[in-house]
Amino acid sequence: MAGLLNRRDWLRMQAAGLIGFSVSGWFERLAAATADDPQRRRSCILLWMSGGPSQLDTWDLKPGHANGGPFKPIDTSVTGIQISEHLPKLAQQMKHLAIVRSMNTREADHGRATYLMRTGVMPTGPIQYPPLGSIVAKEKERPEDEIPGFVSIAPFRQLSPTAFQPGFLGPRYAPLIVGESSMLLGNGQGQPADLDKALKVQDLDLAPGVVPEQAARRIELLDEMEGRFLKQRPGVSSLSHRTAYEQAVRMMRSQAVKAFDVEEEPSSLRDAYGRNLFGQGCLLARRLVERGVPFVEVTLGGVAEMPVLGWDTHQNNFPSVQRLCEVLDPAFSTLISDLRDRGLLDTTLLIWMGEFGRTPRINNAQGRDHFANAWSVVLGGGGIRGGQVVGKTSPDGMEVTERPVTVHDLFATICLALGIDYNKKNMSNVGRPVKIVEKNPQPITEILV
Amino acid sequence: MPQRCRYLPGIAVWITAALWLWAGFAEAQTAPDATELARRIDRHIEAAWQAAGVKPADLADDAEFLRRIYLDLAGRIPTVSEVRQFFDDPDPDKRRRVVDRLLASPGYVNHFANVFRSAWLPELDNAAELAFTAQGFDAWIRSRLAENTPYDRLVRELLTVSANSRRPPVAVPPNRMEATPIAFFTSKEAKPENLAAATARMFLGIRLECAQCHNHPTAQWKQEQFWSYAAFFAGLQTSGPVGELRELPGRRELVIPNTQLLVGPVFLDGRQPEENGRASTRQLLADWITARDNPFFAKATVNRFWEQFFGIGLVDPVDDMEPDNPPSHPELLGELATAFAASGFDLKFLIRAIVLSQTYQRSSVQTDTSQDDPRLFARMALKGLTPEQIVDSLFVAVGAQAEREPQNVITARFGDRNELLARFRGSSARRIETQTSILQALALMNGRFISEATDLEKSRTLAAVVDAPFLDNREKVETLFLAALSRKPTAEESKRFVEYVQSGGASGDSAKALADVFWVLLNSGEFLLNH
Repeated sequence: MAGLLNRRDWLRMQAAGLIGFSVSGWFERLAAATADDPQRRRSCILLWMSGGPSQLDTWDLKPGHANGGPFKPIDTSVTGIQISEHLPKLAQQMKHLAIVRSMNTREADHGRATYLMRTGVMPTGPIQYPPLGSIVAKEKERPEDEIPGFVSIAPFRQLSPTAFQPGFLGPRYAPLIVGESSMLLGNGQGQPADLDKALKVQDLDLAPGVVPEQAARRIELLDEMEGRFLKQRPGVSSLSHRTAYEQAVRMMRSQAVKAFDVEEEPSSLRDAYGRNLFGQGCLLARRLVERGVPFVEVTLGGVAEMPVLGWDTHQNNFPSVQRLCEVLDPAFSTLISDLRDRGLLDTTLLIWMGEFGRTPRINNAQGRDHFANAWSVVLGGGGIRGGQVVGKTSPDGMEVTERPVTVHDLFATICLALGIDYNKKNMSNVGRPVKIVEKNPQPITEILV
Repeated sequence: MPQRCRYLPGIAVWITAALWLWAGFAEAQTAPDATELARRIDRHIEAAWQAAGVKPADLADDAEFLRRIYLDLAGRIPTVSEVRQFFDDPDPDKRRRVVDRLLASPGYVNHFANVFRSAWLPELDNAAELAFTAQGFDAWIRSRLAENTPYDRLVRELLTVSANSRRPPVAVPPNRMEATPIAFFTSKEAKPENLAAATARMFLGIRLECAQCHNHPTAQWKQEQFWSYAAFFAGLQTSGPVGELRELPGRRELVIPNTQLLVGPVFLDGRQPEENGRASTRQLLADWITARDNPFFAKATVNRFWEQFFGIGLVDPVDDMEPDNPPSHPELLGELATAFAASGFDLKFLIRAIVLSQTYQRSSVQTDTSQDDPRLFARMALKGLTPEQIVDSLFVAVGAQAEREPQNVITARFGDRNELLARFRGSSARRIETQTSILQALALMNGRFISEATDLEKSRTLAAVVDAPFLDNREKVETLFLAALSRKPTAEESKRFVEYVQSGGASGDSAKALADVFWVLLNSGEFLLNH
């Protein structure tokens, strides 16, 4: 609830700013100056593989074993590390990446696992835990931020709606969502014009016929009149209403929202990322990180012909994974090289993960089912010493044989890479302080810089 | 014969009258008394307040009650004239009368059709291709709600709908669509595991699917139980989410995936269905689920309806009725379930009892911090509106009545209803914690609908207010408040807004200033939250 006190003054200030619609320009300058600034805060890009991708056909192949399937391993730019033949461009970026092959998380239901891997906690009891994006947004926030600190690109929220809400950290750290899949269905997901539109924040411009002075007076009146209503009825819904309007007004006034104009990028670069929702979403993630947004996630849940749950390969695992890799490989590898070219890679932590992996045993439908015993996550970029593999699975892929990593270990590692104290406590919705990461984690220090 | 015939009409009249009297008497004897159940609700809730030292909020005034009951029963806010009539009505029993009227209105059918569709066909929100099959479902649920079909029969019909029915090969107009709940099965791809999970959640309040893949050490339900329950749907097949539903009548068993284990149908209480020749497994399951003595069905249903009206269930979440997640008021839950079953699963009886309770009629204004725990129901929680409630209320506020005008007329004036609906489809776990997104705020501030709703030429309400020669500025502001917020402005608000209008606002034009006022009201939390 802190911050509510001066909210009114703040909104007035914003309203006054709207009158002149002045362009301060400092934000764009910040974007230009990024690279060499030692004070540059760390950012994080999470590539969220909704549905649970197969580790055996991407990062932890089992050639020669019946569980291995038809995909062949290929060498990478790091001696001794092999990955799937369908990730050839990522193979060339291996020195920036650390593969964790020994995830052991136990929860293999989509909804519960989505909550677990996004918040670090199982969904039990009354405490509403925040997802990683909200945690990072809170820890890294600065008062001058104009774009919310947590942007979620193309999410598929239905598997666990609460895992996309800010939990006890409150609405201020809710994700700003663009490119949500439900808004794209049925209108040609592959079309570039639609993609550009889908990745923008809608309705930022004043309605036709409304002049800035008028808009400012309206907002001022709104602030005045609803103050009493909301104050008399404290709670998440009223606070959330207030916060959303506050953030929306701030964005309306901001020049920083130009970050969402991916069409400003050179055509060749856009091609390299891939002209699809995930590819252009990764490009948008870079633009946002460049402008200081602390946490951006891009969801890859499918491709045009199977828009959601594409990784959930209970049937026909191999053609599906191959098809998704054709989207993943160029986007992820270009993201790495693009961040490096701009001097942003050292301050941007990259995470690749889904809610769980797939069963090593190939089922009768040539599919792989849910599996949380032994699966892979990939970390890279800022704070991570790349070119490494952590942990090991048995020859059949069924068990972790070296360095099992829990969700707590993973979250603690992520926090360290981002310079966040994971023992810090936040007040939860039940009035009990809760550590950012609980359960005495053992972070994977061997991959930290 | 002719002589006796002369008396027949008279006798017939007498018999008819007697029958009618008897029927009336019988009804008075057996019709469940919603008012009495409402009192029982209050008694249980008050007992918990006493135990916890809670000072409850005041009762809602007429304005707060009226807006809430319209949103909760008809899915929209009241019109200006409906508000005025209610305010002017001196009858002390007027709240009950408005409840009766709304339960008999087309708004009730509209709203609860939406409620059931989103609860039973959640797949629709993210799969546009299912919209077509949903039309048949809509037609079905609407006709049943209009008839107040007993809930057990409704669920029975849904579970036992006959497969292999031929679907029309091409799209037909919605009003010619065959009324059938078959979309429930096709939207779940007719997979036994999906149907098991969905029916357990919806009709029994149990999250069975956690046991789908393996046994959890602490969970009550085991993998074999899950698949034995799923076996009731073993014979169903479909060619895809929009395909036909087919059934292999003889098939009653399935193999648990990745095992060699073949299981047949077993009810969740461990009993096996009796082999009785012709009845299909789905009929047997429907019999078991909807039986009066089913330990889950009535409780799960009253809990869902409680959640519908209070934003949070007596068991929260509503589909997690497990021993380790006890209800806030176990006796109340039991009593509601018993009364609901005894009423013959009469939905309107259940709804009446809830909304006539003082508990439902508490204000949402906090007067004491002891009211903060939402599970004590000491003040009405703020509830988020469903996308349909928001859109239909916007229609009412701007003067287009969603339930009386054909959809295409409104669409022509205000743009795509579906586009607007899509913006408000956010998924929220608990309705008392509905979150407004930045994108929703932007849509309401700058989007096409609101811009046209506050357009002097397109908005009927606004145009009528601006042009009314018999209204002064104070009355104009008041009318806009009634249209958007279903209440009169406070003295302070009236003064502030009238001054604004008189000064002409930002543009020096009092008509535009009235548009600004309307914009402010439609963007307020008071408009966008059910309070």
